[in-house]
Amino acid sequence: MEKTNKNRAIKKVAVLGAGVMGAGIALHFAGVGCEVLLLDMVPTDLKEEDKNNRKARNQIVEKLFNFALKSKPSPYYNKAVIERVTLGNFDDDMPKIKDVDWIVEVVVERLDIKKLIYEKVEKYRTPGTLITSNTSGIPIHLLNEGRSDDFKKDFCGTHFFNPPRYLKLLEVIPTIDTDPAVVDFIMHYGDKILGKQTVLCKDTPAFIANRVGVYSMAKIFQLTTELGLKIEEVDKLTGPIIGRPKTGTFKLSDLVGNDTGTKVMIGIKDSCPNDEQAHAFEVPKYVNFLLENKFFGNKTKKGYYEKTKDASGKTVINALRLDTLTYEPVGEVNFPSLTAAKSKENLADKINAFVGQDDKGAQLVKRSLAGLFAYVSNRVPEISDNLYSVDDALKAGFAWEIGPFEYWDIVGIQKGIELAQAEGLEVSDWVKELAKNNNPTFYKSENNARKYYNQASKSYETIPGTESFILLDTLRGNAPVYKNSGGILHDLGDGVLNLEFTSKMNSLGGDVLEAIQKSIDIAENGYRGLVIGNEAPNFSVGANLAMIFMLASDQEFDELDMAVRQFQKTTMRARYSSIPVVSAPHGMTLGGGCELTMHSDAAVTSAETYIGLVEVGVGLIPAGGGTKELTQRLSDSFFAGDVQIPKLQEVFLNIAMAKVATSAADAFDKGYFLKSRDRVVMNDKRLIAEAKAEVLRLSEEGYTQPAHRNDITVMGRTGLGTLLVGIDSFKRGNYISEYDAKIAEKIAYVVCGGDLSQESKVSEQYILDLEREAFLSLCGEKKTLERIQAMLKTGKPLRN
Amino acid sequence: MQEAYIVAGYRTAVGKSKKGGFRFTRPDDLGAVVINHLVNSIPNFDPNLIDGIICGNAIPEAEQGMQIGRMLVLRSGLPVTVAGVTVNRYCASGLEAIAMATAKIRSGMGECIIAGGVESMSLIPMTGWKTALNYEIAKSAADHYSSMGLTAEAVAKEYNVSRADQDEFSYHSHMKALAAIEAGKFKSQIVPVTVEEVYVENNKRKTRSFVVDTDEGPRKGTTVEVLGKLKPVFAAGGSVTAGNSSQTSDGAAFVMVVSERLVKEHNLTPIARLVNSAVTGVEPRIMGIGPAAAVPKVLKQAGMSLNDIEMVELNEAFASQSLAVIRQLGLDPAIVNPNGGAIALGHPLGCTGCKLTVQIINEMKLQNKKKGIVTACVGGGQGIAAIIEVL
Repeated sequence: MEKTNKNRAIKKVAVLGAGVMGAGIALHFAGVGCEVLLLDMVPTDLKEEDKNNRKARNQIVEKLFNFALKSKPSPYYNKAVIERVTLGNFDDDMPKIKDVDWIVEVVVERLDIKKLIYEKVEKYRTPGTLITSNTSGIPIHLLNEGRSDDFKKDFCGTHFFNPPRYLKLLEVIPTIDTDPAVVDFIMHYGDKILGKQTVLCKDTPAFIANRVGVYSMAKIFQLTTELGLKIEEVDKLTGPIIGRPKTGTFKLSDLVGNDTGTKVMIGIKDSCPNDEQAHAFEVPKYVNFLLENKFFGNKTKKGYYEKTKDASGKTVINALRLDTLTYEPVGEVNFPSLTAAKSKENLADKINAFVGQDDKGAQLVKRSLAGLFAYVSNRVPEISDNLYSVDDALKAGFAWEIGPFEYWDIVGIQKGIELAQAEGLEVSDWVKELAKNNNPTFYKSENNARKYYNQASKSYETIPGTESFILLDTLRGNAPVYKNSGGILHDLGDGVLNLEFTSKMNSLGGDVLEAIQKSIDIAENGYRGLVIGNEAPNFSVGANLAMIFMLASDQEFDELDMAVRQFQKTTMRARYSSIPVVSAPHGMTLGGGCELTMHSDAAVTSAETYIGLVEVGVGLIPAGGGTKELTQRLSDSFFAGDVQIPKLQEVFLNIAMAKVATSAADAFDKGYFLKSRDRVVMNDKRLIAEAKAEVLRLSEEGYTQPAHRNDITVMGRTGLGTLLVGIDSFKRGNYISEYDAKIAEKIAYVVCGGDLSQESKVSEQYILDLEREAFLSLCGEKKTLERIQAMLKTGKPLRN
Repeated sequence: MQEAYIVAGYRTAVGKSKKGGFRFTRPDDLGAVVINHLVNSIPNFDPNLIDGIICGNAIPEAEQGMQIGRMLVLRSGLPVTVAGVTVNRYCASGLEAIAMATAKIRSGMGECIIAGGVESMSLIPMTGWKTALNYEIAKSAADHYSSMGLTAEAVAKEYNVSRADQDEFSYHSHMKALAAIEAGKFKSQIVPVTVEEVYVENNKRKTRSFVVDTDEGPRKGTTVEVLGKLKPVFAAGGSVTAGNSSQTSDGAAFVMVVSERLVKEHNLTPIARLVNSAVTGVEPRIMGIGPAAAVPKVLKQAGMSLNDIEMVELNEAFASQSLAVIRQLGLDPAIVNPNGGAIALGHPLGCTGCKLTVQIINEMKLQNKKKGIVTACVGGGQGIAAIIEVL
């Protein structure tokens, strides 16, 4: 069938080039369900006898692919993904691209080689097939020179960021020949199916994210020398405290590779001589020192930082001293502005804490922002017609919490202009003009939509493509339907409510439980259903441990009993209400967060959800219905003649080993999600909107509150005997401690329904009582208290 | 009482489980090949003389279920009157079958019995498909169900067997096995098996056949250094690795045991006899030490001493227990496992006892020796030992 924009669908993808990016892109396409053909070179030095040996001819692609599979964090969702990738080589398998719907070229960054590959592609490509290049440095319009018209109309740049599974940015760079319908398709497919933040770019050097991101880095490099700061000081000042990744600036350079980073910097410097801040891209002397010595960073185990051991064998981290070019142990970082920023709760206040001070730390933050403001203001419309594209690119590509124009909104446009002027820089005219307005901002929320300032039309417009998102931020102007210290209940319209947790790390304490119950009560009275969702990095890290620790160390067992009952009542309420309750898990969804998710009527989950029952880490067992729920799901999986025991072992191990799924797909494999009711949404920004749609679908289908369960098959002592022996083996094999074994025995007891003489059918309440009793008994143990205390203090589990 | 004699004995090559030549061959099919070869190897032998088959098997379920002893009779095409029984003493099953056949014949309860064992570890997991353990034992004495690996760790610890010694022992097992194969020592005892395979290639049904006639376990390139790099697999900080443990395997072995009367009447040639056999229990936690208790017991029963013994086939369940047994008994390492053991050649559980008997008969004959012992440790805490005399 002829391929047209009308019938375009991506079922098969060919990825040409199996390096780190190629293999990662292949695995991401396979992750969303596509069949992928991954090709690379035939070795040039094949022995005569191997010339017809397929295995030998594929050895490069196999080696590269296997290398990629081992990278951390894992580039694939679960093992099934790997099965969807077929390996091959350019010489034998190129004809197969005639059957694919999209060809992604990811070969080495050399124009001549890319052109050779395109020549081959043109031979076999079916007209209408998408063909895109993942180049990060070569102008897109040079790549399609000499190609057919059909090739040119389906060709553009698609720039993924490493690692492709995790970094959200996809820059799409059309040429003047690219069919606009093709651009629309890729922008939409990238967003909805690949789950990416797609950003439309112009064919300008390094596109958007690298152009601005590398500028920012270069500016910070310069200021570091100018202000005489130490690199650990700079990393502290340019990390999470200002909404950037914890690698800060220099550690990020080590991670990316100082050689690679410098190459990009020089590339921009060479191709952008007219940038008003072109001098910022000068490579500092100390970078040359690193390059000459091949101190490329993490990959060479030495860069701006190095790890060594002192005489006692303790790990010491040394940092490069930029003046002496020697390594010294990292020191404490102290600035009054940093202390002031740390005391602030939200990012805006932190930023302004720096802006309001004048110590060297504050100067670094202020002056780097000043440079950034001037730089980005002059890049619109050069690299993008719209300011939001710059923000989107930096957030998704460099994991900044907010983009340049959002920083500027925090500082204030006028103040930003003044900072730039103090730095000897001029912002662009359109910003100066905007600044004349009353209360000028780059963004505003209006009618539940987020709008940006369009410098061309000089008006505020809705960000295209976001119509189908629900962003809770845009609802903040509305009066909440309900609010307490643990959560806010928003009205999403169409009779659907959303409960957003507002506790620290979204942990579940008494106030949050109350908010959940209250929200369900409200939804039952006049609404169609409830979404439990939020836009924080993590859905919920679990129960509020501090509260449990307090009650347990005071031996307040009645209160603890009440608290656990309250938890169980809350999760059960999520299941048993007259309206559908849909959870929208993402990121860490642990302990109580997992229990709540499993008890809702459906989960609409992010592909990147790390869900599991981790209670054993703090010396407890899941008692908010989690152990009960997995026991019930186990029972539901039994069939006549089933030998049951292996499944029982799996459920037991999930809890006893606190197994956390490494993706939503893995969570389906582990049984935290169920194919029959839960589904994955690739783009997190669509999560709440899709959860809302799920509520409406369930409501439309005629939602009936489920009947209480009295038919849960538990195996009693037949299962228990087997599990106890397994626990004993682990203990004697020194894999677990005495106390691990004790907790594991409690879990075994609950999942088997106790020591019943025979397989029996029991109620949910019976198992809830067992899990609560086990939980309370563990709260009376000193070692459990030690575990909780360690977690509260260090954030890491203690094995005692 | 009349004497019972072994008149013939054969085995298959031992396949690597899951990936070897017998990875999908059913144990009843595999056993039938050996039984047919065994019966046909005796000139002018009338199969109607056979009373029955005693088949050792360690996990008699699934492909090995349905009372495989009887199924072997039917699958081999023996007369329907031939009976069949399955016996299970775990790793001693194959040897126990020969002991039972001998005892039956000596006591007049039969004249001709095919005894041995078969195991497919490719097809049936070691604890069976449904492991349902006794809750009372689990609570009070979970180590009665000790995994074999943990018993090997316990033996290593209690009998001070070092990791280096275990690896060294394992290396020699491989070297001896490779030398034996190289010298063609096993050729006459192995029944070549033609395996027919039906498989799918490019969505098409295809067939092929191949012959398995050589033990697959021994590793040519192995060295003490390579073995020394392997990680412990049963205990954190332990010393027992995949390299110094026996290999999981597939195989079958059978001997024919006949009465003195039948030997005379049908002019059969006895090649060996099982003089005596003994089984004894030890703590399940250290089951590997079993042979150290069983060997003295069988020698006492037979009124013999270790000095009378010229060769030992000690099943190498693990290097740790093999070394502990050798040291406890004061065995001369030079007469133990002259052609390597289970660490190199594999350990198809229920088959092993008979396989080792076939091996010791052939090797003693070659070396012109008369008396040997086959011995093995047994899961659950037992040891078996049998004195074999070559005639």
